Amino acid sequence: MSTTKAKVERPASVRKGGGRFDWRWAGLAALLAAAVYAPFQLVPFHVFQLTMVLVYAVALLGLNLLVGHAGQISLGHGAFFAIGAYTCAILLDRFDLPYPLTLPLAAAVAFVLGLALGVPAMRLRGLYLALVTLAIAIFLVPLLKRFEELTGGSMGLTLAKPTPPAWSGLAEDQWLYFLTLAVAVAAFLLAASLLRSRVGRALHALRDNEIAAEVMGVRLSFYKTLAFAWSAMFAGAAGCVYTWVIGFVSPDSFTVNLSITLLAGLVVGGLGSLSGPVLGGLFVMFVPSISQDINDAAPGVIFGLLIIAVMYVAPTGLAGLAGRLIKKIPRKE
Amino acid sequence: MSEDLVVEDLHAGYGDARVLHGVRFTVRQGEVCAILGPNGAGKTTLLRALSGVIRARGTITLGGTSLTGRSPDAVARLGVAHVPEGRGTFMPLTVEENLRLGAYVRRGPSVEEDLERIHTYFPVLKKRLKQAAGSLSGGEQQMLALGRALMLRPRVLLLDEPSLGLAPLVTRELFRIVQAINTEERTTVVVVEQNAHLALGIAQQAHVLETGRIVLSGTAAEIRADEQVAQSYLGYRV
Repeated sequence: MSTTKAKVERPASVRKGGGRFDWRWAGLAALLAAAVYAPFQLVPFHVFQLTMVLVYAVALLGLNLLVGHAGQISLGHGAFFAIGAYTCAILLDRFDLPYPLTLPLAAAVAFVLGLALGVPAMRLRGLYLALVTLAIAIFLVPLLKRFEELTGGSMGLTLAKPTPPAWSGLAEDQWLYFLTLAVAVAAFLLAASLLRSRVGRALHALRDNEIAAEVMGVRLSFYKTLAFAWSAMFAGAAGCVYTWVIGFVSPDSFTVNLSITLLAGLVVGGLGSLSGPVLGGLFVMFVPSISQDINDAAPGVIFGLLIIAVMYVAPTGLAGLAGRLIKKIPRKE
Repeated sequence: MSEDLVVEDLHAGYGDARVLHGVRFTVRQGEVCAILGPNGAGKTTLLRALSGVIRARGTITLGGTSLTGRSPDAVARLGVAHVPEGRGTFMPLTVEENLRLGAYVRRGPSVEEDLERIHTYFPVLKKRLKQAAGSLSGGEQQMLALGRALMLRPRVLLLDEPSLGLAPLVTRELFRIVQAINTEERTTVVVVEQNAHLALGIAQQAHVLETGRIVLSGTAAEIRADEQVAQSYLGYRV
């Protein structure tokens, strides 16, 4: 059973034939090699930018589980990102925990909160769910400011960044990059294996047809809540790594804007595909700064227009567009 | 043969709209039961109430076990497979993934055996296993829906308007397969149909549902011979 199972559960983009599948692995290996090579070639600022792409990619990977695979919506994932970031910051600030320990704890806190908020939220759908999740993002910022004792209030918390161990011979920016890369690869593998399992099939079923899924024995509320909690967990892990990389958290870094940008990045990157979150991470990281270069006065306008443009050219996101372009390359039979 | 599915005084609806008003009927083990009736009579609602998709008041028992108030997944675990109106195809998933989802409440090597068994009933699906289910024709999707329901190894199969939107030839083929499943697997079948000819052709018992009440019950032959039914549903006088 297990062998056939692995054969079946693949994302839509690779389903069409055996030939392309090998290309994918080759592409993935090349990408990973490039990712390992890149920090030795780039200046520290660019290494930092790539690190942030990976941070966003981890958050988007989680959001993709919820939106792309389970078919639910969240306008509040910035809140779970913030919860991860603050959990990490408080653990470092208050308890002097070694930083590697903050990652599982931040992910766990986000997971539990995701579960707690997911139980009521996932009984709603569509616009109602969108509003409730938006509310989560809205009330978090004042809450963070209110509990000044713990969170540092509006001033935020400043923390020491993880220092590279002597044996590695890496600079700080490179060390942070590799830490993030390791978390991103682990998150990617975790998401991929979740989706290939029976649970992944249940998520796809409830996304595509709720009634058909439930009469087949899929417990809708259970899986929706689980998907919400998982996606919160990924966002929390990403938030934790964010704190490592930036060394500073403040409420104003996690406004509603972050939640909306995450969702926009995911849709632009490509819903329901495994490469979508990485492409979305690139979009979220680079497009605002590029649009700043194009027009100093109105980066927001350029950002918005670019989203509209992508949606017209590639309604299935950049991942879908890439898939279509690859198909056009003539191949030897 | 013993009575398997027993429905008594069943009330159900959507919010304030009451649709079923005290429906009562029984289906014997291994039998095909047809529910006939015009649009809006409550046929789909009846099946939804049986499978737990909507809440219902009254009594539904399967082999003595109460189904009333159970969630759809619990009902599915008790062996009730519902082929919903409009087939419920998971369009982006492959045919094989759709079939495997049918066996969602079961695990183990028997799932592979069942896939083989489905292929003997529906050879057309075997050729299309790796294809996205959304690319199938309407008839093929209905076969997929039926095959997927069989993957549950159901004790009772609930079919909601299987002929909907299909060519007559395809519909006949479909009903032939339903009959084969019923005889070979001894699966109890409750089929809701507007096409009374076809449904009565494979059913032993039939009930006519009008505005949420069963107005006529009998053997398929009796119902076919009923003048009222002939005029309303078969389109000719006896």
